[in-house]
Amino acid sequence: MEFSIFVQLLVLGLVRGSMYALMGVGLSLIFGIMGIVNFAHGELFMMGCYLMYFVTRMVGLPFPVGIIASGAGLLIVGIILEKGLISPLRRKAGREWLMDSFVLTIGLMVIFQNLALITFGAIQRGIPNLVTGQMVIREVVFIYDHLVILSLALLTVGLLWYFIKYTSMGKAIRATSQHSEGAQTLGIDVSTMYAIAFGIGAALAGISGALLITLFPANPNAGMGPVLKSFVVVIVGGLGNVKGAVAAGIMVGLLEAFAMFFLAGGWQNVIVTSIVIAVLVFKPAGLFAPAGERP
Amino acid sequence: MSLEIKSITSGYVKEVPVLRDVSVVAREGALTAIIGPNGAGKSTLLKTIYGYLRPSEGDIYHHGESIKGLKPDEMLGQGIAHLIQGHSVFPAMTVEENLELGGWIIKHDREALEMALAEVYERYPILKERRRMVAGALSGGEQRTLEIARLTMTQPRTILIDEPSVGLMPKLVDRIYEEIVNLKEKGFTIVIVDQKVHKAVDVADYIYVLRLGLNSHHGPREKFVGTIEDVIREWI
Repeated sequence: MEFSIFVQLLVLGLVRGSMYALMGVGLSLIFGIMGIVNFAHGELFMMGCYLMYFVTRMVGLPFPVGIIASGAGLLIVGIILEKGLISPLRRKAGREWLMDSFVLTIGLMVIFQNLALITFGAIQRGIPNLVTGQMVIREVVFIYDHLVILSLALLTVGLLWYFIKYTSMGKAIRATSQHSEGAQTLGIDVSTMYAIAFGIGAALAGISGALLITLFPANPNAGMGPVLKSFVVVIVGGLGNVKGAVAAGIMVGLLEAFAMFFLAGGWQNVIVTSIVIAVLVFKPAGLFAPAGERP
Repeated sequence: MSLEIKSITSGYVKEVPVLRDVSVVAREGALTAIIGPNGAGKSTLLKTIYGYLRPSEGDIYHHGESIKGLKPDEMLGQGIAHLIQGHSVFPAMTVEENLELGGWIIKHDREALEMALAEVYERYPILKERRRMVAGALSGGEQRTLEIARLTMTQPRTILIDEPSVGLMPKLVDRIYEEIVNLKEKGFTIVIVDQKVHKAVDVADYIYVLRLGLNSHHGPREKFVGTIEDVIREWI
């Protein structure tokens, strides 16, 4: 294979992969801390798309403002959802609340899609690109848009990693996920930690939606594709394993880019789905789970 | 009076109280043991003191202030620590991160936090040695030590201990009890609940016996030495 083609595929794979990672990390964070599988994650992505569209196209602000607005807006949406629906459910349903939370998030998915349909109609609202132009280095084409998406996605994951690893709030969130009752005895308000964690997960979905608006125009079903991919990422990386989600996201992105080139469009889905089945059968805790850990 | 439980009625469902009119007083600096057969309501009592359950009647005072209705995460701020049953370390975090989180309620006072950490390391050199290890890699006994050390980061006045010997091998049980006596000697007020009646009676200053959710006997240890077998026989 020619080197330039290899580099081109590498870049394309990384761009896709970084987005899958961003979505997967949000989903994984919510599962790891609260035990909730958020089926409405794609709709949070969709809201991010719309926010980006309205802030940049309707209001006419520059795209970085749109990305920040999507992140901040979805952070608030996430906290409201957690405080208003999930937290009361957890308190009232007792031990059965996990099953109930499944039904709740599936319901939210349907409601959000239809609300978007009623409010905005089934029209695609896209933005052709965030930044125009490209550069060519030794026959490899670097589209500026892709580079911006890639670097902003990596920046977001980096900031999240720093927050979780080093800030006291991040440590309290990790402590809550590892032993919530123990965290409570140390004076940590675990219900606030749950709300913040859900908010951050939602914000990551919103930022993904904003960044990917050039590929997935805002429409009521915009989240359906990305959410499927993020479930793939979360299964391959291990449910609740945030580092695993980053690694799996990038791996899946690269696999897809190379599969599409060497096999044909469509085959990437076959390969990725086969990997998911293999992981579920042979290594259900995910490819990146520490030894001995159960899913 | 450090901790005063005044005729509380409490339980999981309003119609079925587990505890009825139970009173317990824990004197400052003393070790008070609450014993009783299975189902006597010992754990329910601890859960009620610590705010997981709200008593339908009665009140709970800590150093004269009512703590009834406070949430579990507000208790440490009131000077009441709770060593819960089973392991409660954060297994994927380092020993030092675990201890830092023990100082969560004083996190804005960097200096006090550093001092508390230094003090804990002086008292438990093993934790200093292992401070970069993840807590899940510690032995069972070391994890218990870490749990106790973590709770003392903010110098609470009263420590509630729920079944400290559950899941530990006999040799470690002795060590944990030594540690509990140590804590008492440092001036902490201790309230302990344990299935291992003899162990608890050995170290206690004052003993309460619960039975079927009611106060049954209570008195200083001397009153129970020699007669504890009779008390236990009553349960069977």
